Amino acid sequence: MAEGLLGQWLQAYPAGHLRVLSLVGIEVHWAILQYVLGLSFLAFVARLIYLRTHNEHWERLTRTLVKGFILMFALGAATGTAAEFGLVLLWPNLTEAAGDFIYFPLYAEIFAFIMEVVFLYMMWYGWGKLSLKAHTAILFLGMAGAWYSAAMIVSVNAYMVAPTGIVPAYNTTTWHFMYAEGYPKFTLHVPLRLILELPNGSKVSIPTLKLLNIPLLEKAGMTVVGMNKAGNAVVVEMPVRIVQRLVFEMYRGYTVKDSILQFVVNKTYVQEHASLAPILLNTPVKSIVEPIVKQTVRDEGVYSVTFKSPVYWASIIHVYGAAITTSAFTLMGAYAIRYLQYRNRRDEDYLEYVRKAFAFAAVTGLIVITMQGLVFGHEMGRAIAIYNPEKLAAMEATTSQLKHTMTGPFRSLFEDKLMPLLAYGSMHAKLPSYDAIPKDYCYCKLSDKLHQMNPSIPSDAMRGLVDCRPPLIVHYLYYGKVYLAILLGLYALAAVYYVWRGWPNFNLPGWISKPGYAMPILIQLVSLLGWATREIGRKPWTIYGVMTVDTAQTVNPPSTGEVALVAVYLIGLLVLLAYGVYRILWVPGNPEKA
Amino acid sequence: MASTLNPATFWLAFTFGAHIMMVNLSVGLPPLMVYYRNKGVGDPRFEYVARSMTRVYAAIYGLAGVFATAFTVFLLSFYPKFIGLAGHVALVPFSIAIMMIALHFLMLALYWYGWDRWSLTAHNVIGTLLVISAFLIPFGFRAVFAFLNIPTGLHFDAAQGKFYLSVTEFLAHNPTFWPFYLKTIVGALTATFVVVAAGYAYRYTHSEGLVKEASGIVVRQMLGPALVGLVAMFFLGLWYALSLMNIPYKFNNIFGGFGWKVGDGVVTYNFSWAFALKMFFYLSQLVIVALAYKAVRREAEAIAPRAKYLLYAGFSALATIVTGEYLNAFSQYPWFIAAVTDKKVVASLLAEVPPQSRGEVASYLLQVLDLRNYNTIATLPGVTWLTAGFLAFLIAAAFYFVYVLLLKPGGSESSY
Repeated sequence: MAEGLLGQWLQAYPAGHLRVLSLVGIEVHWAILQYVLGLSFLAFVARLIYLRTHNEHWERLTRTLVKGFILMFALGAATGTAAEFGLVLLWPNLTEAAGDFIYFPLYAEIFAFIMEVVFLYMMWYGWGKLSLKAHTAILFLGMAGAWYSAAMIVSVNAYMVAPTGIVPAYNTTTWHFMYAEGYPKFTLHVPLRLILELPNGSKVSIPTLKLLNIPLLEKAGMTVVGMNKAGNAVVVEMPVRIVQRLVFEMYRGYTVKDSILQFVVNKTYVQEHASLAPILLNTPVKSIVEPIVKQTVRDEGVYSVTFKSPVYWASIIHVYGAAITTSAFTLMGAYAIRYLQYRNRRDEDYLEYVRKAFAFAAVTGLIVITMQGLVFGHEMGRAIAIYNPEKLAAMEATTSQLKHTMTGPFRSLFEDKLMPLLAYGSMHAKLPSYDAIPKDYCYCKLSDKLHQMNPSIPSDAMRGLVDCRPPLIVHYLYYGKVYLAILLGLYALAAVYYVWRGWPNFNLPGWISKPGYAMPILIQLVSLLGWATREIGRKPWTIYGVMTVDTAQTVNPPSTGEVALVAVYLIGLLVLLAYGVYRILWVPGNPEKA
Repeated sequence: MASTLNPATFWLAFTFGAHIMMVNLSVGLPPLMVYYRNKGVGDPRFEYVARSMTRVYAAIYGLAGVFATAFTVFLLSFYPKFIGLAGHVALVPFSIAIMMIALHFLMLALYWYGWDRWSLTAHNVIGTLLVISAFLIPFGFRAVFAFLNIPTGLHFDAAQGKFYLSVTEFLAHNPTFWPFYLKTIVGALTATFVVVAAGYAYRYTHSEGLVKEASGIVVRQMLGPALVGLVAMFFLGLWYALSLMNIPYKFNNIFGGFGWKVGDGVVTYNFSWAFALKMFFYLSQLVIVALAYKAVRREAEAIAPRAKYLLYAGFSALATIVTGEYLNAFSQYPWFIAAVTDKKVVASLLAEVPPQSRGEVASYLLQVLDLRNYNTIATLPGVTWLTAGFLAFLIAAAFYFVYVLLLKPGGSESSY
């Protein structure tokens, strides 16, 4: 079955090997980034405790955490560069679209990077040269830079998950999908006039509403909402199957004569303006679609469009929570190892420090993992339930094709009552059924007609999009994450119990201290599974409702062998990094350098 | 000239200039760090040199990385369509560069933080990888730059309607790649020798004891290789200049002001003044380094009276790099690919395109490769002011940081 699920993910959507490489590359970056976000926060808190207590153990912990933070930042910058270029090289059309339409958060992220670099260096090299309060302020600014950076990048990712203006297909009143009515739809602001360039370089202004056959478009599912605030554009909700086709044609460099646009042109208007016809037919689709998207972005706000994604706030708090959780559990593991190494030695002062650091990590870990489950993750789940119902259906495996991870009498209680309550706030709600999602809901049927007229133009069914539904493997990824997170939460609870019971000279039983070796891997696995659910569950979309993976990918993809080589290289670097950090910060038998 | 300056080209030039100046030192410093690290085993003078050099290097590399990231983000925001095109065709050269960048960052972190945590052999292996990756990063990027001179190896696949790059053909036949790459490596090493000599000459005059002694040795050791490098750069520069004769548009913009022209002989933008400026910086450092080498070869005391001249030579070395890079970039304005102005090159490329699509393809290329066609929503006044504010902050903070790092008393020399 696992083979079948993996096969669905790799083969039901185009560019399987490129997706695997991107997953590896971005995961390597993400694994490191969580420490940049989390260790900076923990270091700042440790410093605040030091300022309050003046106990040198907290300063020592701060220094160790800062060292880890800087090391991870350097590597995060490297893997970030690799990820950035990876996106350009493997998904150039996505990158081009991002630069063209939603560039601002990427642009603004560079200022975050500047903050990080400047304050990190100043923090490290200024240790002992700056006053404690000034140094603490710099530590805070270094952390703020990292968090600001995440806020920018996550906004772009949130936009890819649920772009601003998406109208989902699942009706949360009737609890039915509305694919027959053309949903999901994407809100577009169509300028009243389109400016087209003539072969002689002069420009002609065409009234859009007269050029397009509006009744035909409405029949195809488009809804006219009204005018924009400036009164220079019509706001419409366009079925995503049409949007994605136009975006595909735009990035393939099609002209109107090879596009579905020819079917929605108002023939009467063109006949009345006969001289326009040849110009129109040879107009690139990009010249028509780009002004519409730019108008949409301008009306939503050039600076704020990605932050208005309906899943943004849930995403960013979930990311911050994941980063602190991962860092805290890694720290817990690290000091549990230290405890094992030092519990029988006579360095009481160092052991006291180790106990404090472990307690700090355990308490933080318990608080944050609880918040992740009950608040941040919950909010994320609610946002997905509303705006990515197809993904929720796959996550919950509401299908007869797959065996749910939960069986027996609890299964129906869970699916019929608890999950609807969690997802939609009512036990009477119904989860979206995976089996009710048409396999071809993202296909634009006009493309079939186009293909019949010109066989060299692929219809949507020929583009490698075998299935428009998300891969069912996300069910196991998601529940794997949930179960493992619950297990780690219980572990943290037990650890905090032992700390509380014996404070300050507590002893840790073997079953608490020995799993320390596995803790960084286990917590990273939880995070990886969550991230994979988010990214894999979006397929076949790169930007949900707007751009599919085949549109985004490069026209000159590397071979599978080349992709495998780069993936092994990246994983090798990550392993080397892990070993390096262990040697630098945690050489067995030596206290870490303070 | 007025039309060459717009927010897009200004910010690109600004960040590129800052990046390229620092990144040349990033190529030249790693071999020196590894060399002095080994000489420093049991010799505290060289131990000091190796550590101080690595500490400064880590700072420079981080700042260079910031400016590089700023440059790429600006490029994406201002010219997304060019990035889209480059992404489709330049997979191999960019991949080499980024894989080496990732390796370099990791090795630098392991080298610096792991100084006392690795055996000498392991530390040297890390150092060697640091040096190799430093030399291979420009291999990938210079390949891209040479491609931007002449797109050798670029073909059009008529069956699939796409451009693709033949890398072997590019490496074998692009006349500008090898002179450009070799000039870059030798130039970076030479500039580093001069800058290091300048830095330690300053340190020599402002320190006592072990630091003074070590600084004096470094100055004397650097000047010889710097002189050799400067002489070599004359020949490598000449080689690159000759290779540019294949692109009359660019060659004429650089040398036309002196009456040296090829092809149609048209000078579109006269940048000969920039070449003259570069030569001034080059020759002045050559003279200073030659005279200083002669004087300090026998006695270290001769460093002190020449320290300020060496500082000027260090400044000239960096200025030579910046003017040279600007000259190379500006001389092909407004084109991302210089040879797009060459009818023969364009005709041979379009010959592979089906006749009915030639007009569309040509129009697309001219649109995408023209620096004047920038993304207007990325150059809104608010964004420009925000950029100026943050970059001003970065520069001020960087200066303060250099002050804290190099001049402010306190802390620990061994804060690693």
